[in-house]
Amino acid sequence: MRILEVLHMEPKIESIIDTFESRKKHMCIKGDDISIPDCNKATLPGTVTQRTCVFGGARIVLMPITDSLHLIHGPIGCASCTWDIRGSKSSRSNLYKKGCSTDMGEKDIIFGGERKLFETIIELNKLYNPGAIFVYATCVSGVIGDDIKAVCKKSEEITGIRIVPVQSEGFQDYNKTKGHWIGCDALLDYVIGTKELEKTTPYDINIVGEFNVAGDLWGIKPLFKEMGVNIISTITGDSYVDEIAQAHGAKLNIVQCQKSSNYLADKMEKKYGIPSIKVNFFGIKQTINSLRDVADFFDDEEMMERTEEIIKSGLNDVEHKIEEYKERLTGKTVALYVGGNKAWSLVRAFEELGMDVIMSGTKNGMKEDYERIKDTVRDGTVIVDDANSNELALLLKKYQPNLLISGAKEKYISLKLGIPFCDFNHDRISAFAGFNGFISFAKEVDASVSSPVFDLTSKKLMEQ
Amino acid sequence: MSVNIIKKERNAIINPLKTCQPLGAMYAVTGIRRAVPLVHGSQGCSTFVRYSLSRHFREPSEIAVTSLHEDAAVFGGRRNLVEGLQNVAIRLKPDLIGVITTCSSEIIGDDIVGFIRTAKDELKQKIGEEVTEKIKIVPISTPSFVETHLKGYDNAIKALADHVAEPSEPNEKINIIPGMTNPGDVREIKHILAFMDVNGIILTDISDPFDSPLRPSTTEYKPYYPKGGTTVEEIVDSANSLGTISLTKYAGSGALSLEKKYNVPAELGPIPIGVQNTDQFLRNLKKLTGNDVTDEILDERGLLIDSMADFASRYLHGRTAAIYGDPEITSGIARFVGELGMEPKLVLTGSDNKEFVKDIEKVAKETGAEIDTMVGQDLRAMEVYLKDNPVDLMIGNSDARLMAKEYGIPLIRVGFPVYDRVGYHRRPIVGYNGGIHLIDLITNTILEKYYEHEHWKLQQ
Repeated sequence: MRILEVLHMEPKIESIIDTFESRKKHMCIKGDDISIPDCNKATLPGTVTQRTCVFGGARIVLMPITDSLHLIHGPIGCASCTWDIRGSKSSRSNLYKKGCSTDMGEKDIIFGGERKLFETIIELNKLYNPGAIFVYATCVSGVIGDDIKAVCKKSEEITGIRIVPVQSEGFQDYNKTKGHWIGCDALLDYVIGTKELEKTTPYDINIVGEFNVAGDLWGIKPLFKEMGVNIISTITGDSYVDEIAQAHGAKLNIVQCQKSSNYLADKMEKKYGIPSIKVNFFGIKQTINSLRDVADFFDDEEMMERTEEIIKSGLNDVEHKIEEYKERLTGKTVALYVGGNKAWSLVRAFEELGMDVIMSGTKNGMKEDYERIKDTVRDGTVIVDDANSNELALLLKKYQPNLLISGAKEKYISLKLGIPFCDFNHDRISAFAGFNGFISFAKEVDASVSSPVFDLTSKKLMEQ
Repeated sequence: MSVNIIKKERNAIINPLKTCQPLGAMYAVTGIRRAVPLVHGSQGCSTFVRYSLSRHFREPSEIAVTSLHEDAAVFGGRRNLVEGLQNVAIRLKPDLIGVITTCSSEIIGDDIVGFIRTAKDELKQKIGEEVTEKIKIVPISTPSFVETHLKGYDNAIKALADHVAEPSEPNEKINIIPGMTNPGDVREIKHILAFMDVNGIILTDISDPFDSPLRPSTTEYKPYYPKGGTTVEEIVDSANSLGTISLTKYAGSGALSLEKKYNVPAELGPIPIGVQNTDQFLRNLKKLTGNDVTDEILDERGLLIDSMADFASRYLHGRTAAIYGDPEITSGIARFVGELGMEPKLVLTGSDNKEFVKDIEKVAKETGAEIDTMVGQDLRAMEVYLKDNPVDLMIGNSDARLMAKEYGIPLIRVGFPVYDRVGYHRRPIVGYNGGIHLIDLITNTILEKYYEHEHWKLQQ
């Protein structure tokens, strides 16, 4: 393995790549003395960061609530650059795709923007009659001190619908995880528990931290239905706000994106006594384990039997369909550089394709996230925290993986280096979750890694 | 024969047709060789713009940020900017850093010029005076809560004219401010300049940075600096040019600044979209340089007119269009559409601009059409309008794609952003060649939608 050779030559953490002194401890190699990088630190000013702001974190957690409007209280850019940017699919309403802004101008900065916000909420409610209006604070509304909570309360009395303040001032923190929590807090404080469950069954669950990107949820939902589990709400993929309002009636929360949503599950456990199970539907084994865990939780013989049937038929389908891809992908290397959760949840999925994860990193990881990465990857894997664009390029150049898994900003950096790329972020087109999702996943990874394009670099011309 | 202005009746912006100033400035600085845009604001201010730019151009977009956090909101962003500038300077060794402010840094009232001075003093201690002085650090004020992204672009170009341009010997060159156009447009302008035997300084040239080759062996990666872009020397030299042509009067402050300070005559707009606007551009070029319009150019003009003669009356005459987007591009296309015998029924822009209305009045006069005009509006306004007033064609960015689908109106993609089709950033809409590209696009779309396929062979 190439990486082990490199390791052999360079046993010191300090020399992984050339970067700022203070950044060196944010990268390490598993198996060394230090197997967890330094993390959750402020981004170094003056770097091309791959991180985003707290507002962004809250926005992406709540955006998939499809029957609601998401109103950004700030200058126009905060809405313009973020409307409809998450590939979360909807089976019903399309309201969530609208880009709504109070478009704060100079006057609002001087005199305050509360009046404008109030009028905007009233207008939007009249125009669309949404399930709810989520009102997001931005840096500007924060700095000038607009009391969006009070405005929301007043508007709620007039409109009669849920007007939910989201205290997501962008500069609050360097880690957008805080934004995820703020999004979760908005649900906990203003939505969950505000409507009684109409009908209960012994098998009521919420799917938490599943945002239905590219329709992932739709790969999981039928499996649960077959098992006999009743889904009260998904938080927040393809959801209506009224469904989330009843989430407190569930017997169990299953948590897919643990980075953004463990926080919510923990709080719900404290507040409503709902236990939670961490699940992962990326990969065959992980899907199987997740299904079994849920069946085990309900401790119902029949459900367990049905679950085994589902697993059997799922496996039957998947194994021969991925064979061809696996053949081509075996032995190929992959680097992960993602928001958080996927840095560990994808590792096994790649192993099932015969691939070798040689690097895994996150932009916003906390210590516990890196513990999980460390526990999941094998010795010799590079673990990296908050790599800026320059560092990412250097890491890719040094380790030359056959594939990078990351998002839209990283995509073109990787491609310019001649390194194949596969999107596993908001822009993804295919659903990757569950058994069928795994087939699409294998197909897309193969399309990236096995593309003939990367054999055609300019070097080739000079060689011939 | 007239323009009917439809006023905005709401506070809410629903599906915006504009964004904030910093994006325009980041775009402008990306067009400079070995330059780093440094955004003085929250991480989202750079990251979300990088998303937007990368989606449109399908290229990396390398923008640094000072990562302001809560303590900066209380105590000011001095430390972040001073440290950020030094980190960029030492690590990335750029030729230029454009310091781009945001809403938060503007409201806090950070003294950008003072902070830059402090950073330079500290840098001199660390990397020496000579190296420090080589790096141009340009303050660009772009308060997000004032006007739109175009103003940010304008402010950036003006900052370059004010802080970088230096008079020396006359250079016989023409400065071109391309506005927020695409790489294909800038290349077309350079092509026209070459045919006119004019040397140009493009302020700034995003054509290569936002459309660069995949050649791993030649790409600079420590850090990533894309190929091309206007060099700092060229910007310095822009004070010595024969004149400046801004392709947009909505971003002409840089041109006016060069005129006022260094007597470089300025011509502002119109954007050379369509026949008459391109004619005007060439007249401006001739006026400033004395060079005659060459035969090659006249041939290209003839090719455009030839296409127009071939298609216009047969397929396009009387077809109605809704045109939306940035003011300069939108008014340029409205005029071209009029030249084709089509009717620009609705023209809509997100920025609130009186000049725009004047432009559209001119088009109304030329075409004899009644043109419904919306300024400072959003896509929701167009949605409501089109429900009662359907058109044959929509021309604008990708953001109205869902509306186009819902109403069954074909959409011709131009402007920024276009993320749901490929290649649009590469092909020009300016110049006679851009006109040919546009008329092909429009005609093929009309054929596809409104003509019976089985009769195509006869419908020549």
